[in-house]
Amino acid sequence: MYRGGSMPISDEIYFLCMLHNIGMTAPEKSLTIEEISRWTAVEPAKAEESLNRLLKAKYVDVRIVSGVKRYFITADGIRKVLSMYS
Amino acid sequence: MLDRAGNSMDICMLTWEYPPRIVGGIARHCEGLAKTLAKMGHTVHVITLDFPGAPQYEEVEGVKIHRTSVELGHPSFIAWVFIFNHFMEKKIAMISKEVKFDVIHIHDWLVALAGIATKHYLRLPLVLTLHSTEVGRTSGFSNPDSYLIDGVEWWATYESKRVIVTSNSMKREVEEHFHLPQSKIDVIPNAIDTSKYEVKVDREAVKRRYGIAPDERIVLFVGRLVPQKGVEYLIKATSKIVNSHPNARIVIVGDGWMKDHLWNLTISSEHKHKISFLGFLSDSELVELTLSSDVLVVPSVYEPFGIVALEGMAAGVPIVASNIGGLAEIIEHDKTGVLVYAGDPNSIAWGVNRILSDSKYASWLVENAKRKVREVYSWDAVARRTAEVYEKSYGGA
Repeated sequence: MYRGGSMPISDEIYFLCMLHNIGMTAPEKSLTIEEISRWTAVEPAKAEESLNRLLKAKYVDVRIVSGVKRYFITADGIRKVLSMYS
Repeated sequence: MLDRAGNSMDICMLTWEYPPRIVGGIARHCEGLAKTLAKMGHTVHVITLDFPGAPQYEEVEGVKIHRTSVELGHPSFIAWVFIFNHFMEKKIAMISKEVKFDVIHIHDWLVALAGIATKHYLRLPLVLTLHSTEVGRTSGFSNPDSYLIDGVEWWATYESKRVIVTSNSMKREVEEHFHLPQSKIDVIPNAIDTSKYEVKVDREAVKRRYGIAPDERIVLFVGRLVPQKGVEYLIKATSKIVNSHPNARIVIVGDGWMKDHLWNLTISSEHKHKISFLGFLSDSELVELTLSSDVLVVPSVYEPFGIVALEGMAAGVPIVASNIGGLAEIIEHDKTGVLVYAGDPNSIAWGVNRILSDSKYASWLVENAKRKVREVYSWDAVARRTAEVYEKSYGGA
């Protein structure tokens, strides 16, 4: 995907954009890897790999509910996505 | 000030970003405008999107802020935009049961669908502020989303009674690209609250906070890290700046989808240790850092206005900016700043070095720039002119 000029948007940022668009923008709207995989049509292993990188960059955060990891986007992650279209 | 008949207006302002949801300049523009209109005696309802930690409803300095939650999602950004516009319409429909709005004011394409639907439903005049265009942001279309966004922008200009743009260059762009009649367009610049820069800062403490040595001179960039902002050309100018001024440090504030590319460009450069990426900063942190800087560079390759230049001018920081769009209208070369060629690292380095080499020249630019900001870019003047546009739009929806 491209947003201006000839530089493509990385897969990781595109994935972050999808997480935003499906509504994972607050802890109470967090999803599990399986749910994310279903919504985005990205395989669970690939989704987990991308989530770990986004966690490291602090664009995504995680909480544990009943022993299951649930992911949501941080304020910085939201801004990162919105910067593409503003 | 109220309208010419002395009446207070009920204004419905739609924007996808409003503090603390700050992405680009739109949030600050809407905040400044809404607060000043409220101060003038109008009732301003801002309909915006939710953000972590921000309440669903609050009143700040007289502005009634309604934040919309988006209850459905879809991986596609465009689908998400259509969905959030639906929830905005629903919110406005609920508010309009108790409030009789006089005018709807939308900011950019992102809220156009909700604005247009509300115009027809409530039979109200619609005013659009076009802060930028898709064709300008993307330097030409490269995917179907851009064609759709361009279409929505055209549709919004067609449906609006009046179209506000922030510079003459933007007016020309809108006239040519959307074939919009000149008589429908009003040019009203952005503005700035200069009082927030009237604070004393401990420059050494601010520098320490970001790992900058006390004797280093800050060459600041503030903005979204996207191609139109031209940050890569500043990074490429670093060698020529540092060779002339070894104590210069390039400080990049902001985030965006291009950050990884810019980071890779930095770590492959000779002077990578002279470039700092600070990410997104809060308003107060940004004010302190700006006041501690020696030069502010605005190297955009597309800039309908360039509010960051005004912020630097108000803060008393000499500006180096691309000689394009709104920047070329705000800044008078060699009087209120230094204009350089867009997309040209050599030219940017020349401009920065000129300022860093001559403190008397830098001080002279700063004094002229401060005066110009105070005289031309005040929120009172901009809000008064916007209210006049609202009045003009009353001629039937």
